[in-house]
Amino acid sequence: MFEREDETVERVIQHLRRPVAIDPGLDARVMREVAQVPREGRRGRPLWPLLAAAAVVATVLVARPWNRTAASNADTLQFVLVAPQAASVALVGDFNDWDPARSPMQTAHGAGIWATVIRLAPGRYRYAFLVNGVEWRADPNAPAARDDEFGTPSSVITVGGRGS
Amino acid sequence: MGIHKVEPSDAELVRRVRAGDTGAYGALVSRYRNRLGRYAVHMIGDREDAEEALQDSFVRAYRSLARCDDPSRFGAWLYGILVNRCRTTGARAARRRRMFVRDAQALDGAAHADRADRLDWTDAVDRALARLAPDYREAFLLKHVEDLEYEEIAELTGAGVSALKMRVKRAREQLQKYLREAEHV
Repeated sequence: MFEREDETVERVIQHLRRPVAIDPGLDARVMREVAQVPREGRRGRPLWPLLAAAAVVATVLVARPWNRTAASNADTLQFVLVAPQAASVALVGDFNDWDPARSPMQTAHGAGIWATVIRLAPGRYRYAFLVNGVEWRADPNAPAARDDEFGTPSSVITVGGRGS
Repeated sequence: MGIHKVEPSDAELVRRVRAGDTGAYGALVSRYRNRLGRYAVHMIGDREDAEEALQDSFVRAYRSLARCDDPSRFGAWLYGILVNRCRTTGARAARRRRMFVRDAQALDGAAHADRADRLDWTDAVDRALARLAPDYREAFLLKHVEDLEYEEIAELTGAGVSALKMRVKRAREQLQKYLREAEHV
């Protein structure tokens, strides 16, 4: 009886392992979409070789990760991170294709308070801070992205709805 | 002997893409399309939705390539994106799938009346697979069809190894049950 049942499942497995025909045009569609990604997004800086050498000791002390400063269809949001020993911080997220070149954060008075202001249409976005070009940090004062599939920490912001 | 074509590694292709060679991404798409496509088709159960999920996963991976910490494991990273995307699509399609199962059950009734209309093996497997709970189907496909280790599946799905083993065991039991039912129609 058990042998017969195992045989049935094995037969299912062999059946499912057969190749499945995928539309031959899929590759071209992917490459067409990829070609529309902004040029700077395509050139994402090679970060991985530097990871091992990274020795970022900045402590995140952020109290207000972002503040709404205007309300309209698109909200103007200020993202803030306290990282006193960071040499650079960039805001990356769904809204800028995770491209650190598009939302660099500025520090004022050398106090290690990094900030940037961006406008976001209503929606749910995942984001993170990229410190010194190598260290991904989630926002310590925002909900963590539970469905993040990229393997690096990130946070969630909902604009124009509850929770924003 | 002879000329052997040496395929560039995933890490090399990722490096080229990051350096601005968009065409190198085409090689990665070509390398993974069939295997990932098979998973998506079996997981989602609808070829059109599966191809949309696959296409979207490739584009999302491209946009987020800077977040792929270990380019030599690009394939596993891409799998993770697709598994997540299939979950989203699966949730949207759940209602449709339930309707499909109801229709299929109606069809079973008709088949009972006329054995000449009995559905073939492919249909029986597809329908049995569709009746599994999504997390059972996901674990079963990744383990037995995509041949991943439990530790790899745990990394992709966020579930613990013991929970995954339980899901695979239940999936096997339920597939047997559903196929036995189909045999007796």
